[in-house]
Amino acid sequence: MAAEEKWKGWAWKQQKAAEPGGEREPGVLLGRQLPEAGRFAYAALCGISLAWLFPENEQSSFRTEFIKGFVKWLDLPDAVLPAMTAFADGLGGEGTETFTEILLKDPILKENPLLITQDLLSFSLQDGSYDARARVLICRVSWLLRLPLEDLEVLEESLLESLKDQKEEESETAEVSRKKKERRKKLKRYLLIGLATVGGGTVIGLTGGLAAPLVAAGAATIIGSAGAAALGSTAGIAVMASLFGAAGAGLTGYKMKKRVGAIEEFEFLPLTEGKQLHITIAITGWLCTGKYGSFTAPWSSMLHSSEQYCLAWESKYLMELGNALDSLLNGFVNMMAQEALKFTVLSGIVTALTWPASLLTVANVIDNPWGVCLHRSAEVGKHLAHILLSRQQGQRPVTLIGFSLGARVIYFCLQEMAQEKDSQGIIEDVVLLGAPVEGEAKHWRALTRVVSGRIINGFCRGDWLLSFVYRTSSVKLNVAGLQPVDLDDRRMVNMDLSSVVNGHLDYMKQMDTILKAVGIKTKECQLEEKGSGSLFSPQAKQSQRAAGREARGEENTRKEEDEVGSEALPANCAHQQNSSSTALGEPSPPCPDCSHSTDSKDQAVGKGAN
Amino acid sequence: MRARPARPARCKQTAGGPAQAQRRRRSCARSSGGRGRFGSAAGMDEDVLTTLKILIIGESGVGKSSLLLRFTDDTFDPELAATIGVDFKVKTISVDGNKAKLAIWDTAGQERFRTLTPSYYRGAQGVILVYDVTRRDTFVKLDNWLNELETYCTRNDIVQMLVGNKIDKENREVDRNEGLKFARKHSMLFIEASAKTCDGVQCAFEELVEKIIQTPGLWESESQNRGVKLSNKEEGYGGGGACGGYCSML
Repeated sequence: MAAEEKWKGWAWKQQKAAEPGGEREPGVLLGRQLPEAGRFAYAALCGISLAWLFPENEQSSFRTEFIKGFVKWLDLPDAVLPAMTAFADGLGGEGTETFTEILLKDPILKENPLLITQDLLSFSLQDGSYDARARVLICRVSWLLRLPLEDLEVLEESLLESLKDQKEEESETAEVSRKKKERRKKLKRYLLIGLATVGGGTVIGLTGGLAAPLVAAGAATIIGSAGAAALGSTAGIAVMASLFGAAGAGLTGYKMKKRVGAIEEFEFLPLTEGKQLHITIAITGWLCTGKYGSFTAPWSSMLHSSEQYCLAWESKYLMELGNALDSLLNGFVNMMAQEALKFTVLSGIVTALTWPASLLTVANVIDNPWGVCLHRSAEVGKHLAHILLSRQQGQRPVTLIGFSLGARVIYFCLQEMAQEKDSQGIIEDVVLLGAPVEGEAKHWRALTRVVSGRIINGFCRGDWLLSFVYRTSSVKLNVAGLQPVDLDDRRMVNMDLSSVVNGHLDYMKQMDTILKAVGIKTKECQLEEKGSGSLFSPQAKQSQRAAGREARGEENTRKEEDEVGSEALPANCAHQQNSSSTALGEPSPPCPDCSHSTDSKDQAVGKGAN
Repeated sequence: MRARPARPARCKQTAGGPAQAQRRRRSCARSSGGRGRFGSAAGMDEDVLTTLKILIIGESGVGKSSLLLRFTDDTFDPELAATIGVDFKVKTISVDGNKAKLAIWDTAGQERFRTLTPSYYRGAQGVILVYDVTRRDTFVKLDNWLNELETYCTRNDIVQMLVGNKIDKENREVDRNEGLKFARKHSMLFIEASAKTCDGVQCAFEELVEKIIQTPGLWESESQNRGVKLSNKEEGYGGGGACGGYCSML
């Protein structure tokens, strides 16, 4: 297939980028290699992107600091600072085309535009903290340069995964042996820290601690030694550790020392065993007996980053709620519920007053556990906010995903964070599915302060269960899980999941489909890529993984449509179309004229189009 | 737009009175209080009528940056380094009682930065085209600049001002009448100036701004356009929210 060829070529290029030490003159930063005009265009591109992404007044210091540091990083004279600051403040940023064109025409970048992503990544990491805003900026700039987002993932991953091989290679060179002693000492120290945290941190904690000093070593090959010089310095190593959280134990190491307020249970469970420069925390909405008895069950297919956690909270109450939900559905009410469903979906104008009387008689089954969980989810959210603020997860971007009450946890977490200082640049994206929270835009405005990337509100108009249980909980008629949030911000993405979700319980059962619809990567892509992995040379491991993920991402959706599509996606394509257009309408849609930027958002579009 | 020829004469007159020019300069210096950001905070200076984007272009070494420096900071540096990419300065001036904030983009004349220039043209309301009266080649190449202006400029009613710089120098190669003729031919404003002696600098900017303000479509359409864009977006959102029969249900 021609496409296959293309991917191979891309993967090869990718590999070249991942190991610049072999291919390029090491030690020279990309920034210094570009001609002055190119560097100017590069900085201006970042400035304009910053202004577009973070136009808020409270972000002005971040913009200024970033652009200041960046001008220095690129070795541009200070004279350009006023112009760059103006760009970053949203002046003169009428177009990025000229700048991207200049960059793409540059002889160095023409061959491998990924160098820009790489350079930006090393700039963002240089002081040991990976700001979520910086990551969003990198995504934006990569997108402007028509680079698929997966490239960034690959760069981040290779930065970590090349460590194991790196360890041996490193010790052979004479230059490194000089530093070896030093490093060993460090290693020992980290080992101790790692061991110390085994109790709380499990295996992840250990590797996290061990990885820290090695990250800098690995970074040397990926970022180029000059870039890594900043990272590999004695201070740098310590800062790299900061990327991964307190002594590497990170989130799993966190245990609730004492009962906090009304919270009885609060713990992070690892979903995947990997390490990444950005993490994902999933939050389950309720538990029920059987297949979905654990917090991790609904998220089994999610693979948004290779380091994912699941928040375990208040299992006792969530189990109660789940059982109540189940009995409500499976019990004698079922028939009436179906009736209610018809009411809500077909006739439309059903208010809380017109609930069928038979349904209301059993309301007490659900109302109590619901009320308890509603209250506790808010408490848990606030607690989560303080954990994230104290950077237990390290200095790296966090993506939060949750459904039902889990989404409520996230909502309150963000609300709490919004009230604190220094809460910016921690959260990258948030995904709230069927959230039982108020849907008024003014309440959501605060969220834009803390979220750097996107705020995705997945809702289902016909979710009768949510509207039923929420009827007494709040007088507010707007529920985010039932309708779009009318917030005018580039971050806000509303997704109509009505075609996928037929009832509130589907958020748990159909999570795989939902995740794909909202553009969260899932494992399926990963599995398939393993099958064709042999096509590529063994060295290009990293690269082809992403290439494979990407190439197959598209095929997956296609295949799935053919096989499962008829079942999972019934004749609700109109709705799907709706949701995908929302995705496109958002400020940073995947590049339309670049077929290989198979962003997961594209998948949604693909589905919609079919 | 066509009644341009009268302008230069008037301009010359105002520039002729040193006392008047100085008064103007002082009043401008006073009004240019904040040089910070202003893009998003429209309400920061309530009395500012509008923000205008001005572009300075011309061959390398004709004194574009010096003109700007003289205008904004009232200083002159004979050893000013070549501009890299573009320079940016903000200044508030009042013309005929109207305060206008000028966002001035001073482009680099050097060939190696020439590829960057197209990105600044967009949205500019006024452009100052500079040549050096002691270097004929900079005058000859004005045609190229006009071509570029035409190619990249998003609006056709942009106000253009031709400035012959360095009139303090002895070895003049381009006659004043030649410049005037060129400006008439292309219906531009014209003035001769010297950044060193401060001659005509203030006047050049003021004339330009005055002309822009007299062309309401130029700066008013800007804000209107923005408004339309916003309302469109809202419409889209509202449409999504109001569609379907069951959105009002709980």
